[in-house]
Amino acid sequence: MTSSGNTATPPAELPVIDKKAEPLISIRNLTVHFDLGRERISERRETNGAWNKKEIDTAKFVKLALITIVLTLITLVVIVVTGRTVTSNLIALVIGVVVVVLIITHEMFGDRGARQTVKAVDGVSLDVFEGETLGLVGESGCGKSTLGRAILRLTGPTSGKVLFRNRDLAQLSKRQMREQRRHLQIIFQDPYASLNPRMTVGEIVREPLDTFRLAKGRKADERVQALMETVGLSKRFIKRYPHEFSGGQRQRIGIARALAVDPEFIVADEPISALDVSIQAQILNLLEKLQHEKKLTYLFISHDLRAVRHVASRVAVMYLGKIVEIADAKAIYDDPLMPYTKALISAVPVPDPTVEANRRRVVLEGDVPSPINPPKGCRFHTRCPYAIVACKEVVPPLVEIKPNHLAACIRISAEQPQIESVPSGQAPGLVAASGINS
Amino acid sequence: MITRNGNLLEVRDLRTYFHTEDGTVKAVDGVTFNLRPGETLGIVGESGSGKSVTNLSIVRLIQSPPGQIVSGEVVFDGRDILRLPEAEVRRIRGRRIAMIFQDPMTSLNPFMKISRQLMEMTRLHLGYSKAQAYAHAVKMLETVGIPDAPRRVDGFPHEFSGGMRQRVMIAMALSCQPELLIADEPSSALDVTIQAQILELIKTLKQETGTSVILVTHDLGVVAGMTDDLIVMYAGKIFEQAPTRELFAVPGNPYTKGLLRSVPDPTSARGPLYQISGLPPDVAHLPPGCPFAPRCDRAEEICSKEFPPLVEVNQDHHSLCHFAKEVYAQSVARSSPSIGMRDKPELIPHPSAGKK
Repeated sequence: MTSSGNTATPPAELPVIDKKAEPLISIRNLTVHFDLGRERISERRETNGAWNKKEIDTAKFVKLALITIVLTLITLVVIVVTGRTVTSNLIALVIGVVVVVLIITHEMFGDRGARQTVKAVDGVSLDVFEGETLGLVGESGCGKSTLGRAILRLTGPTSGKVLFRNRDLAQLSKRQMREQRRHLQIIFQDPYASLNPRMTVGEIVREPLDTFRLAKGRKADERVQALMETVGLSKRFIKRYPHEFSGGQRQRIGIARALAVDPEFIVADEPISALDVSIQAQILNLLEKLQHEKKLTYLFISHDLRAVRHVASRVAVMYLGKIVEIADAKAIYDDPLMPYTKALISAVPVPDPTVEANRRRVVLEGDVPSPINPPKGCRFHTRCPYAIVACKEVVPPLVEIKPNHLAACIRISAEQPQIESVPSGQAPGLVAASGINS
Repeated sequence: MITRNGNLLEVRDLRTYFHTEDGTVKAVDGVTFNLRPGETLGIVGESGSGKSVTNLSIVRLIQSPPGQIVSGEVVFDGRDILRLPEAEVRRIRGRRIAMIFQDPMTSLNPFMKISRQLMEMTRLHLGYSKAQAYAHAVKMLETVGIPDAPRRVDGFPHEFSGGMRQRVMIAMALSCQPELLIADEPSSALDVTIQAQILELIKTLKQETGTSVILVTHDLGVVAGMTDDLIVMYAGKIFEQAPTRELFAVPGNPYTKGLLRSVPDPTSARGPLYQISGLPPDVAHLPPGCPFAPRCDRAEEICSKEFPPLVEVNQDHHSLCHFAKEVYAQSVARSSPSIGMRDKPELIPHPSAGKK
């Protein structure tokens, strides 16, 4: 597997989930960083709450004023010492230029601090098995879309492996990767933005056939027609443009395009979020039907936990770039172990007044912290109702708490899986964590 | 403060049309409902069903042209808002009827400090002095649970997260203690855990202040836990209207039934989901007869020819359908013995240690 790297990261190896099947896709220690450039010191002060904007502006002004005064004084001194000669004028000019350059450089670079990176995906290990739908849930900014895109290398992974049929996609050359994309496709959230408005539907669906030289001429036409039929679009629409369609129909076009190359694996990135309720059901059903017919494997990314429950066989929960829990869908929804998953599941409104009336919601306090500066230790500790001191220091590893049910929380262990029954202050999972961290 | 029949708000036969090049769009076409003080009414529908336009019409925020409130009455506090002079409406809007919208970033002025935007309300409507208004702004931010309110009140909208911005909007809406709060998709743009926070907040504030609420949403899950009564809209018309529990348990309209069934049930395993076939209607070119007929399972010949009647299937339960009585009877038969649609006593296990 990957080189052990630094000691703080959880193990690259995942406990074996399904001994019967080889995973179609194995992700090992995948990390994706985004470089945000240099940080502005003034902004950092602001975010730390030490200074407010006014104070920063005043400080800047005072600093520049001081520099100017000092340099003017030097100029005056030079003039007094040398008398009004050509040299003195030249020196004054040089100093004037220096002042301007200093001010400009200060404005441009003086305010810059360290480089900032967002670890959108931070050491994720995951297996996707053939024929399954793996649901990937989490709040906005948790890195779930980045993970999906990194698998297809639409976003370059910073480190780690993405094994597809035992080939590491992260190591392939651009051309090799392009070939592999025949087997790996993606459906995007926004059917408006992901279709070229200047191409007809026929051209859009046909484009992948041309790119991969899969069919030509009459054969290609037939294939396009067949694809449109498969996704439930009438052949009559073939010459129309995307703007003539509704959101649900556009999503069908996007699906037809993804299917054109007969892929094995499809990343569905929030495929129903932009659609109306009655249309969502249509698209979900279509995706399921296609999975059966074409033996597809899906990574279904969504923040809609109800939809994920419906389509996914297993579910992974992400929080601030890390997988915090992964298990069979039923287990995640009926028996969530990690406190964040518990809160997430309990926050889903249920369309049944009787249930809603009797339910107790775990309402989390606060917002998701910024991924630029994620909390140390367990990233959820700032909002976790069960957090103890150790949670701030120890990065919880993703360990098997119950069979095929992995969670990242030091306050639970295989012996004591229910956090409610763990005595306060105790962290039974700490032994496992320290064993790995040491 | 209250109209003839003890209602805070009575909307009668409201019709709002938009005159476009493509023809007249009947965005709201004959909407009638009542709202009692302290009650929460949910309006559910897909995009283009007219749920937002209904509310904008109530506070007369329809841009004209192209929009026009063609007919109807909106009786608030005994007076018809649609017939009041504009100056009078302005005194009601914001002060006695407040609104919060889906996207808190576009509803807040990005160039103005939060404090100034909050103070505007009380200075304008309640005639507060600057100092009074500022103190009130801080108090309101504290009420809606913004930590460190005295410092953050002078921040700009971009310094707040989505959930916090929505809290600011709620603070602003409630700062004049309105009698009616119209919340148009207040949580749809937010993450699940933040959505739960905002909904809980609206719920508690409602209990504390006794404000009536109209909650507009497309999410049946949200209205299930929040509302007393429910209206289902489709193509500008009320398709079904009933107390929330009744509507969920025994829907009397094929569209409502379809909607309820097409929401994935978190308890059931996989398998094909019920789907309403076809597309939402083009409101500019509605077919004659029932607008839902082309997508309806139950449609018969009459449905595509004659506009359906609004049938009272039970007390306070109306359904717009030629076969409302049959559909309702079917629902009743299915729901008995246990009212609760499907057998799911405890849907999602709540962590019992959810102490506050």
